[in-house]
Amino acid sequence: MTPGNHQGPVGSRPAVTGPELRSWAPLLALIVLCLGFGFAGPGFATLENLWTVADRSAIPLILAVGTTFVILQGSIDLSIEGVMAVSSLTFAMSVLNDRTGLDLGVFGLVLATFAGAGLGLLSGLVTTYLRVPSFMVTLGVWSASTGIAMLLSGDQPPLIKDPMLHALGLGRSFAVPNLFLVAVTVVLLGYALQSYTRFGRYSMVIGGGEDRARLLGLPVDRYKVLAFTFAGLLSGLGGALESARIGLGHADIGVGQTFATITAVVIAGTSLGGGRGGVLQSAVGTLTLAVLTDGMIFAGISPYAQKAVQGALILLAVLVTTWPLRSRLRIVK
Amino acid sequence: MIEPVLRVEKLSKSFAGVRALDDVSFDVRPREVLGLVGENGAGKSTLLKVLAGVLHADRGRIIVRGTPVSPANVAAAAAFGIGIVFQEQAVLPNVTVAENILLGHEHRAVRAGFYDWRTLYARAAAQLDKLGAGISPSTLTATLSFAERQLVEIARALSLEERTRHEPIILFDEPTSMLDANGIETVLRQIERLRQRASVVFVSHRLDEVLRVSDRICIMVNGRCVATRDRAVCNIADLQRLMLGRELDAKYQRQPLSTHGPKVRLSVRALGRRNSYHGVSFELHAGEVLGIAESAGSGGKTLCRTLFGAERADTGEIVLDGRPVRVREPADAVRLGVGYVPAERRLEGIVGGLGVRENMTLAHLDELRRGPFIDLAKERQVVKSWIERLRIRTPTADAPAHDLSGGNQQKVVLAKWLIGQKLKVLILDHPSRGLDVGAKAELFALIREFARAGLGVLLVADTVEEVMALSDSIIVMKDGVVSGRFPASAAKPSRLQILERMV
Amino acid sequence: MTRAMSCPAAMTACVAGIVIAATPAVAAEPICDKSEIRLVNSMREIAQPYHANLDKGGRLFAAWAGLKNYVLQLNQGDSDKQISLMRLLVATNPRCTVFNVEPNADLVVKPMVDAANRSGAWIVTHWAHNEGLHPFDGNDHWIAHIAVDSLEAGVAISTRLVDAMGRTGGVVALQGRLDTNPARKRFAGLQQVLQHTPGVTLLDQQTANWDRTAAFPIMQTWLTKYGGRIKGVWAANDDMALGALEALRAVGLAGKIPVVGVDGIPEAIAAVEKGEMVATVSSDAYYQGSIGLAMGTCVLTGQVPLPASWPKEKREFYLKLAVITRDNAAQYLREPQASDYVADWQCDKLWSRSTGKAF
Repeated sequence: MTPGNHQGPVGSRPAVTGPELRSWAPLLALIVLCLGFGFAGPGFATLENLWTVADRSAIPLILAVGTTFVILQGSIDLSIEGVMAVSSLTFAMSVLNDRTGLDLGVFGLVLATFAGAGLGLLSGLVTTYLRVPSFMVTLGVWSASTGIAMLLSGDQPPLIKDPMLHALGLGRSFAVPNLFLVAVTVVLLGYALQSYTRFGRYSMVIGGGEDRARLLGLPVDRYKVLAFTFAGLLSGLGGALESARIGLGHADIGVGQTFATITAVVIAGTSLGGGRGGVLQSAVGTLTLAVLTDGMIFAGISPYAQKAVQGALILLAVLVTTWPLRSRLRIVK
Repeated sequence: MIEPVLRVEKLSKSFAGVRALDDVSFDVRPREVLGLVGENGAGKSTLLKVLAGVLHADRGRIIVRGTPVSPANVAAAAAFGIGIVFQEQAVLPNVTVAENILLGHEHRAVRAGFYDWRTLYARAAAQLDKLGAGISPSTLTATLSFAERQLVEIARALSLEERTRHEPIILFDEPTSMLDANGIETVLRQIERLRQRASVVFVSHRLDEVLRVSDRICIMVNGRCVATRDRAVCNIADLQRLMLGRELDAKYQRQPLSTHGPKVRLSVRALGRRNSYHGVSFELHAGEVLGIAESAGSGGKTLCRTLFGAERADTGEIVLDGRPVRVREPADAVRLGVGYVPAERRLEGIVGGLGVRENMTLAHLDELRRGPFIDLAKERQVVKSWIERLRIRTPTADAPAHDLSGGNQQKVVLAKWLIGQKLKVLILDHPSRGLDVGAKAELFALIREFARAGLGVLLVADTVEEVMALSDSIIVMKDGVVSGRFPASAAKPSRLQILERMV
Repeated sequence: MTRAMSCPAAMTACVAGIVIAATPAVAAEPICDKSEIRLVNSMREIAQPYHANLDKGGRLFAAWAGLKNYVLQLNQGDSDKQISLMRLLVATNPRCTVFNVEPNADLVVKPMVDAANRSGAWIVTHWAHNEGLHPFDGNDHWIAHIAVDSLEAGVAISTRLVDAMGRTGGVVALQGRLDTNPARKRFAGLQQVLQHTPGVTLLDQQTANWDRTAAFPIMQTWLTKYGGRIKGVWAANDDMALGALEALRAVGLAGKIPVVGVDGIPEAIAAVEKGEMVATVSSDAYYQGSIGLAMGTCVLTGQVPLPASWPKEKREFYLKLAVITRDNAAQYLREPQASDYVADWQCDKLWSRSTGKAF
């Protein structure tokens, strides 16, 4: 008896006969949301707004890709905001600005990204080699990084004067916002890593059964450190790009992003327990949140009610995504 | 004298004071299949785990091709050419079959960290082809059935062939216990094939299997290898005797029950569950053991789970002691007096981290309490009496349940239900899986004893022999429906009669 | 940061102040020795220029008054934390501690005032308070509440905005944190002005929680939704105004659509000077960050009588506002120094910036 087909890309889709509705549900939810807002708010369903949503989702997408690998492995990264703060300040102070005499241009971007990677590396090393749960380590790094950023910021956040970088942050290429182009590149890179590299596949393995992986002698620690470093790197990139857009380095630049990123990653099917989900799912989740926020403004939902509406819709999205799994999830924590 | 490819010298290992391996010594010759048999708790599984690097011995030596080794982990053991197929499920559900098979030794299939899926699938397919398994390497492992996952695990071990310079040594720890006839046949053929270019250590409770494929057989008792026999010169009875140290007559041949009472404990009418079974009806009397014979996947297991409330039926009704009942969840079943000994005890029977005592009293704490507190003295006494009664081998009453051998774990699960005073029906799902002859005999004797006391016992058993040996009446299930009935009053059926209704 | 006055000069001024203050009939015994006095500035954070300046003002005062013990308490937007930080500090030496507080939200005022009353510490609050809660209602350790008439501020910038819009067109509004008094009052000011300006309509309002990074995408969405109908941008603080400004800049509209804010941070003043913003209101963070400490010091050194004996309008008053527009932007761009405020810190001049009416 010869086995079935050997071809075909691996992905989140298993080879089953019936339609695997579960993995399409998040995307369907997003489409339904878009349609809903299209009807509820005139002007929502235009090309111009498409780019607005794209621009709004750019930085969150970059953050989500990094966080995905950490969560796939079954860990968590709560340090996003702190890392963004440090990279924001690093970036603002390295390029042409009103505080330091540096003018490193694009190299400032590289520097800030590496600063983020360094913080991620720290998180990774402490959690794997000192065996402190990632929850606590990244919480600590968040705190410490924000403090460092505040020290760097001093009493006056440095303003970015480099026109080229500012244009990068605000501008468009062929009508598409620059930052969104960067985000799409990062998402594609993330997907490639997840599906075609050892880093990606072993992250799944670690999430699906770390004990087993260790038993087989796989270098689990190495990949865990790598995941945190990668997450830090992308948080750093995100912080720097956000600074380029806003025009200054700010310790508060990432406020709210930790919760938003984790929500985005989770609502589209990436499990916090690890081993399930992926970059594309996280991207769908991020876009869903961006559409939600944007759509509520178009639909004229009062700002006093928006938080409640957002919470309700997220709950609904999670229900829809996990409904088919109900019978399998006898135990829910 | 042929130079052994693997020699074990005075290996010892203890767990919490219990000697699992007691200076065990034996050797394995090149290109031979060494069968390893013994009672539950004799140390077979522990021995294999030490050889494979999963556990470390306290004392002793392992010598591979003349060189002493001490594998620190599975990968190190693999480097010495030792691979293992585990007894319990060890594949990763969330990656593809190919990744599971080649995990840790993708070599060429992963270049500079990049996956060459085509090569990976091809190499995995090659291993699967050896088994004749109709599984596509790109399948997500979570979607496979239990038996299929076992095949993947075996394919994993087989891939050792490609990896080592020397001929590999492959250890099989009860590979057939979860498989159906087809699956068993495949595995045994594989082992026979492997003999041409590898050495195999094969552990199984089914002595007929061991006798079929092994060249020599080592019998383990209490952590040491007490005898080694050439296959040609022994038979099942010999092995049993060596394992138990005494003659085992047809002790577990069924004694005819005079008659069971007319009282119907459990009546099932036209019970159905989508995609599993339908139109199932039968009656279970007090004092009766009703056996369900089925080939894997015919719905018997799901039926049992339905009666216990772990699954929901779509149609039909369940009547307990004359009253129709709704069993929506296991808590309902327990309250009504139904007990269930599941097939996968590690997953569903015991709570590994808890002690023996806690496991045993888990389901019936109500009967052991005084006000809101548990009556500890009473609990201890009850547990002690059951440990004695069922002859459960455990260092203390509080030893963690996952440290016990399979058979003893099974006894704990059984005790858990028997402790309940108002037990009316006991459902046993492949109860003797993983138990050796002696333990099985004990188990069956106990079951009959409790049945005689008025319990209704429903049994889904591993093999036709067991169903026949233990049951008063038999129903056969095939593809979700009842395909044959052999009530107690009628003449005893032959093995063939049952088999032909099963397949 | 250069010290405007040398130490001897400062001491002379202080002595002069004491002499002047000593003349009225009601002077008091010093409660604390100068070395015991502890000055505390309690605020949300330090990353925003407004708050940074609050802190700077406080430090300037401490340096000028020769007081070494200065503590900065940051609560990062967490109301509970602001309260518990105060409680922590009053556990030691409350009698000589003065709290100058920028409340994170309206609801922290009462707990902090209670903490002061119970422990004997002294507190001066700014901005927000609950209606019906007053220092003169027996809260003897609540030295004063210095309010900024947020309504007046809102009216002031809204007036300048609609004027710049030619009194016609659509305006979008970025609100501050919706559960704070300044946010609500400033927005009320806008609504008041709009009521009297029929030609201008409020197209939309959202909250960006005082945050520049949050204001940016909201402005973006508005530009998409309303396009050319937006003729003016109103923001409850400068940070949000600047965030909106960046979004305008991205589509080349910076300087073409009038923008207003509140706080008078340097960046905003620069923008006003450039013409990218039309107006902002200076709440003079240096002043606010120091005046409470000055009041407390005067009480503790006995240079003024105890607050319980003060008239109502000295316990609770509005600050005079300074509206910054292109005409006067230049003078506000200079970095403030102690000499600018010494006059206000004199114990008999503490109320010099009051509008004079209680409420």
